[in-house]
Amino acid sequence: MKASVNNLNQTQLAGNVIDRCKKGDVRAFRELYDAYSAAMYNICLRMTGNVSDAEDTLQEAFIQVHRNIGKLERDTSISAWIKRIVVNHCLNTLRKKKVYFEEVEEVEVAEETAIDENSFTMTVAAVKTAIHGLPHGYRTVLNLYLFEEYSHREIAEMMGITESTAKTQYMRAKEKVRQIVKQQNLIH
Amino acid sequence: MPDNLESFIQQHREEFEGPGPSPRVWDALEKELGERRKGKVVQLLGRTWFKAAVIAVLLANAGVLYYMAKTRHQQQDLAVVVPELQDAKVYYTSRINEKLELINTYPASELGLDSAALQELQLRNDTYKTLEKELNNNPGNQRIRGAMIRYYQMKLDLLDKILEALHEKHAAPSQQKKQYEAEI
Repeated sequence: MKASVNNLNQTQLAGNVIDRCKKGDVRAFRELYDAYSAAMYNICLRMTGNVSDAEDTLQEAFIQVHRNIGKLERDTSISAWIKRIVVNHCLNTLRKKKVYFEEVEEVEVAEETAIDENSFTMTVAAVKTAIHGLPHGYRTVLNLYLFEEYSHREIAEMMGITESTAKTQYMRAKEKVRQIVKQQNLIH
Repeated sequence: MPDNLESFIQQHREEFEGPGPSPRVWDALEKELGERRKGKVVQLLGRTWFKAAVIAVLLANAGVLYYMAKTRHQQQDLAVVVPELQDAKVYYTSRINEKLELINTYPASELGLDSAALQELQLRNDTYKTLEKELNNNPGNQRIRGAMIRYYQMKLDLLDKILEALHEKHAAPSQQKKQYEAEI
C-alpha cells in the first residue's frame, strides 16, 4: 500500500480509535499502526537509506507513540504528531551512526545555476537514486524540506544547525541531485 | 517559486512512495508491547498489594474479635500456659516499632494507603486496644492471651512483607529511568 503522510489525517481513523489507544486497547493500536505505518516507513527509508535501519527506527518510534499517546491532546493532529516522533527517531538513528549534520561538502553554490535543467531528463527512478546517493546531511535536509514539508527553521531546530546552514545545504543538495541525474542521463 | 526539480517532485509525489514495512515490524512491536503490559500488571499488583495486605489484617482482626466474643462466656481463670505475656509484649513491640519506623521513612504517596489503612498498620490500633482491655479484665484467660500473641505475629509478618515490597519498588524507578534514557 502506498501512502503519503501528507494525505492522512485523523478523520481517516474511526472516531474512537485514539480514545481506545489511550485506554491501552491493542486492537485499536493495530488500527492506528495500519493507518500510518506505510507512510512512516517511507519516511524512515528515505532518511536512513536502508531497510534494516528503517524498520528498527519505525518500531522504536511506534513504541514511543504507544507510550505517549495518553498525553496526546484532542486538538493535536495525530498524523503530524506521529510524523514528528518518527522524524526525531530517524535523526537519532543517524546520530548514532555518527552522522554530523554540520558537514558541508565542497560544492560551489555558484554551480547551482550552471546546470541547465532542460539539458537532461528527470525520471522518478533517477531522482530517487540521486537522492539516495547524497551525503547524509544533504539528504536529510532535502527530505525534510521537499518530502516532509518542514520549514527551514523547523529543520534547523530538529537537526541542531542554523537556519542559514539548513538553507545552504538544501540548495547544495538540489544541485547535487541535478548533477547526479545529469550524469545518469549521459551514461544511459 | 519552485524550480524544475521541486516541481517534478511535487507532481510525482505519490510515485516516490513505496510499499509499507514487512510484517516482522508489527510482530516485534506486538511482542514489545506485550512485555510492557506484563510489566504494568506487575506494577498494578504491587500497588494493590498493600491494600490487599491491610484488608487481610482487618479480616484477621475481625476474626480474633469474633473468636473472643464467642468464648467470652467461657472465661476461666486458667493457669498460665502461654509463655510470659509480658516478655512476648516487649519482644514483639520492639520489633514492630522498628519496622514501623522504617516504613514511615517512605512518603505516604509511595505507600498508597489512606489514613484509615495507615492507622490500622499502627501497633495500638482498635484491635489491640480491645484485646488489651479484655486482658486487663481477664488476665488469666488463655484464649485472649493467645489471641494477643497471634495479633503480634500477624502484625510483624505484614510489616515484613510491606517492607520487602517497598525495597523492590524502590529499586525499580532507577531501572525504569535507565531504560527510558536508553530509548531517548
